[in-house]
Amino acid sequence: MQYGMIIDLERCVGCHACTIACKAEWEVPVEYGRNWVRRLGPSIVQGEMASTYYPGLCNHCTEPPCVEECPADYEEQTFTNPKTGETITLEVAATWKDPFDGTVQIDKSRCLGCGACADVCPYSARYINPDLVDDMSEDGKADKCTLCKPRVDAGSLPACVQTCITNARIFGDLDDPKSEVAKYIKKGAKGIEPVDGELGPNIKYYGCKKDVDLLFGTSTPELVDVGPIRRRAMLAALGSGAKKSLRNVGLLGIAGAFLASAASDGDASDK
Amino acid sequence: MAFNLTRRRFLQSASLAAASIPLSKVVSAETGFVQSPLEPKGSLKEETATGGICEMCFWRCQLIGKKRDGRLIKLEGNPKSIDNGTSICARGNAGIKLLYDPDRLKYPLKNVGERGKPVWKRISWEEALAECSSKLKGVVDKYGPQGIAVFPHGSTAKYPMHFFERTVGTHNVSEASFFQCRGIRDTAYWATIGKAPGENVDMPNSKAIMLLGSHIGENVHVSHVKSFIKGLQNGSKLIVVDPRYSAAAAKSDVWVKIKPGTDTAFLLAIMNYLVKTEKYNVDFIDEWADGFDEFAEGIADWTFERAAKECNIPVEQIKEVADILAENAPNVSIHPGRHVSWYGNDFQRQRSLACLTALLGAYYVEGGWVPGIKPKVGKVSWAKHDHGNEHNLNYNEDEELRHPFTPPGTPTELIRDAALTGKPYPIKGCVIWGQNPIQTIPGQEKMKDVLRQMDFVMCVDVMPTDATMWADILLPEASYLERFDLVKTGTQWDFSEKHQQYITARMPLVEPMFERKDNVFITNAIAKGMGHEEEIPVKTVEEMVEKNLAVAGLSIAQLKKEDGIHLRDGKDPYGIPEDFEVLLYNEDIEDAGFPGVPTYMPVEPPPAGFARLLYGRVPVHTFNRTQNNAWLNFAMPENPVWINDETANKLGLKDGDTVGLVNSEGFKSHTTTTVKVTPGIRKDSVYMAHGYGSANPLLSVAVNAGVDDTSLMTKIAIDPETGAHGMRNNFVKLIKDGKVLDIPA
Repeated sequence: MQYGMIIDLERCVGCHACTIACKAEWEVPVEYGRNWVRRLGPSIVQGEMASTYYPGLCNHCTEPPCVEECPADYEEQTFTNPKTGETITLEVAATWKDPFDGTVQIDKSRCLGCGACADVCPYSARYINPDLVDDMSEDGKADKCTLCKPRVDAGSLPACVQTCITNARIFGDLDDPKSEVAKYIKKGAKGIEPVDGELGPNIKYYGCKKDVDLLFGTSTPELVDVGPIRRRAMLAALGSGAKKSLRNVGLLGIAGAFLASAASDGDASDK
Repeated sequence: MAFNLTRRRFLQSASLAAASIPLSKVVSAETGFVQSPLEPKGSLKEETATGGICEMCFWRCQLIGKKRDGRLIKLEGNPKSIDNGTSICARGNAGIKLLYDPDRLKYPLKNVGERGKPVWKRISWEEALAECSSKLKGVVDKYGPQGIAVFPHGSTAKYPMHFFERTVGTHNVSEASFFQCRGIRDTAYWATIGKAPGENVDMPNSKAIMLLGSHIGENVHVSHVKSFIKGLQNGSKLIVVDPRYSAAAAKSDVWVKIKPGTDTAFLLAIMNYLVKTEKYNVDFIDEWADGFDEFAEGIADWTFERAAKECNIPVEQIKEVADILAENAPNVSIHPGRHVSWYGNDFQRQRSLACLTALLGAYYVEGGWVPGIKPKVGKVSWAKHDHGNEHNLNYNEDEELRHPFTPPGTPTELIRDAALTGKPYPIKGCVIWGQNPIQTIPGQEKMKDVLRQMDFVMCVDVMPTDATMWADILLPEASYLERFDLVKTGTQWDFSEKHQQYITARMPLVEPMFERKDNVFITNAIAKGMGHEEEIPVKTVEEMVEKNLAVAGLSIAQLKKEDGIHLRDGKDPYGIPEDFEVLLYNEDIEDAGFPGVPTYMPVEPPPAGFARLLYGRVPVHTFNRTQNNAWLNFAMPENPVWINDETANKLGLKDGDTVGLVNSEGFKSHTTTTVKVTPGIRKDSVYMAHGYGSANPLLSVAVNAGVDDTSLMTKIAIDPETGAHGMRNNFVKLIKDGKVLDIPA
C-alpha cells in the first residue's frame, strides 16, 4: 500500500483552495505552506504558448532523503495498518516512512528542529514551524504535509482534496490497480524526480504535453549536497542529549517554572 | 524557557482581537500560560455548525463550520450542497481569517478629524444611530429625499437600499454590481431576449464554449468553475478571446489575441459569415427571432478581412472560430461574461453575444444558454412606492431618459455630477453600505470631491476600506458568518444529473463579537429615527428570513433539521418557453437614438508611448474586499503588471523588477508593484489584477500592497445606452527608478 496523489493539470485552475484549506486544517503559520501553487508561464514551450500550475506538496517519496538525514536517536515505534489493524514495531528516528501506508511522518516531540530534513528535501516541502517551540528546539520543529493521515485514517479525504473545486486532486492507494490514482499512472501521470535522482515521488502530475513539459522544465529540482547538512545535524544531535535530560528532569518534578515544557510533553503522549 | 514573540504578544493582549494566532494555543485560566500542542488537532472531530452561506464573493456557496470551544476553526463546503458540494475556493477557506481579523470594525466610530483623514472616536450605538438619523433627516428636510445618495453592495445592503429608495424616496442609488460590473450585460440581454442572462450557460453539456474576455479560473465561482471544467473534460472545444493568455486561454483550443475594444467587430464578422453562408440556425430564427432582415443588412459590411484588420488578428482565425461555433451548434455556450464594463461601447458587444447565441439556436438547448428552473421563495422588504421621476437624474428636461437602457438605480456618474454642480439639485447626504466607491468607480479624485461636499456621510461595513476613511459615522456590521440574511435558491449545475432544486438561508455559525450589528437592526433604528417607524416591514433579520422561507413552506427550524439545505425535485430546464422572443433588431433602441442592430463603435487607441491598462481578477481575491485577509495576502501579496516580453526587452525590464505606473493624464500610482514579463500579452496593453493598493492605514495587511489600478482610471468613459462606466480606457507608462518608460509601438 502506498498512499499518493494525482494532480490533474487539465482540471487545475490554480485557485489556491488547496493551500488555504490546509492552512485552516492544520494551523499552518501564515507565512508557510504545507502545500503551494505556483503559476508557470505564460511562456513559449517548444514553439507553443503554455501556462499551467505547479501545485506542490511533500512527495512522500519511496526513498525519502529527509528520513535518512534525521539525526534524532532511534526509538521503537509501533505502526498500525489502517485497513487490517495489523501492527508492526520498528526503530525509527523523528521522521520515518510509514511501513503500511507509505506516508512520511514526523514525531514533533522528538524533532530537534535542526532543519536537516528540510534542507535535504529537493522539493523544499518541509519548513521549520516557528510556532512549535519547546526546550529541545527553540526555533521550532520540522513541519510538512502528512497527507492528512489523521483524516485519512478516520476514513475522510485530505483537506486539499476535499476542497479542490475541480477535482484536480485525486487521492488513493497507488499500489491498488483498481484505484483512480493507479488508472492515472497507467495514463502516464509522472512524479517530478530531481535531476539525477531516484526518490520515487508519490505525488504525480497528469496533463497535456505542453503543460507537463512546462512543469517539468521549470520545476525539476536538483538533489541537495548532504555533506554540510549532515555535519550540522550531527552537532545538533550531540547538543540535544543535554537538553533532553533537562526536559526529563523537568517532568519529574521541577515542573512549576516549566509549564510550557510540561504542556508539550503532555501533547506528545497523545501519540 | 523560550517563549517566542507570538506567545508573548498573545499573553500580553489575551483578547479576542489576538485571535490570529493558532487556535490550539489555549490560555489556561489558572496560570495564564499558553499550551502549544505540537500536533494541531485538525477539524475532523470538531462540532459542526450548518447553515452558512459564503460571502467572500457573491456566488454564495453553502458552508458548514467546524467549531471548537465556541470558536470557528474551519469552513468547508456543505456536503449536502448540490451547488458547490464539499468544495469552497481559497477565499471561502480563508473566511475565518476575515471573521477574526484584528483590523475588523468593532464599535461605532465618529470621525472627529477630517473626511479622508479621519480621527476616530468610539461612540455608543445610541449616539451613532441618533446622529445618523438626525443628519439624514436633516438632509431630507432641507433638500428633499433626492438629497441623499446611496452606494450599496451585496445582499446585506438590499434592505437598507430599499429603505432609502422605496420609503425615503431617493432615486440616487447606485450599485457597483450594476454600473461598474454586470449591469450592461443584463440590460443588453433584456433588450434582446427579455431576460438578464446571469452566467446561465450549460457548459457541462456543451460541444463548444466561447469566452470573450472572461477568465474563468482566475475569476472563481465554485460551481461555475466546476461546470466549465466538466465541459472541457467532456470534450467541449474552448475558444478564448482575450488580449492576454489567461488561465482560461491556457486550456483553450483557440486563443484569439484580440486588440482591446474591438470585440464587437469580431462578433459582427462571425455573425455576418453565419448569415451569408446560411450556417445559422434557420429554423430557430424563423420561429423565435424578430428583425432578422434589418439585422442581416446592418451587419452586412463586416467581412472577415475588415474585422481581422480592426481586431489585429488573422482572417483564418476568425473563420476557424466561426466554423467551430457553426459545426457544434446548437450545443454551444456563448458566455455572457461578468464584470463587462470595459470600453464604454459595451452594450452593443453584449447585444452581439446575445444575437450570436440566437443565430446558433443556442437558447434553452443542451450546452447552450439555459437558466434552469428555481424554486420560489419570498422577497420581504420595504413596501414599494412610486416617487415619480421628477428627481430622477436619468431623465432630462424633456422627460426623456438620458441612458434608456440603464440597469436598476441611477448611473453613478449622473449622481456624482449632480453632487458636484448642485444641479439640478444638491446631494448632501451619503450612505455607503458594503461598497467601496473609492476603489470601484473610475475617477477617484472626483469621488473624493463628491464626498467632501456632503453634509453627512455614513458608512457601514465589516472591514475598514478606502471609502470608510470618508465617513462621519462608521458602523460595524456583523459578517456573513455571524448573521442571518438572504434566502438562496438554485438547481443542480449539471443538467445531465437528476433534476433538483435547493433552498437554503444564511444562518449565523457564531455569535457576533464586539458591538457588530446586522443590516436590519441598523436600518430599522435609522428608519425609526427618521420618522418611518410605521413602515418597518420586519423587526429582525431572522423574521425576514422566516417570512421568505414560509413562501416555500419552510422555516429556519426545518432548514436546520435538514442540515441547512432543503432539496426537492426539479424540472427539466430545456425547451423554449412559449413567450420567448429574440430581438435581433430592436426598434426601441433605435427610437432612443442608438443602433437597433448590434454595431461596433471604435475606441480611442493608446497614444504614442502608452499602453492600454487592462485589469482582471485573481482567484484568491474578490477585488479589494479580501485584500486584508492574511492567508489570501500571503497567496498573492501584490498584483504584478504583465508586460509583453519583447516590449520589456526593449525597455530593459526584467521579471520581478519594481515599477510604478503613470497614466496619460499624469496620475501616478501611489505605490509600486513588480513586473511579470511574458509573451502572453499583446504589446499594446499591460495588465494587472483589480483591487490592490489600499490606502487605508487601518488595513495592516493590505495597506500599500500592490498598485491601485482604479487610481489610474481617470478618463471617464460612459456607455451611452446604459450609463455604466467603461474601465479599460486608460493608458499608462511604467516608471522604474524614477524614470518614466515610453512603451514602444
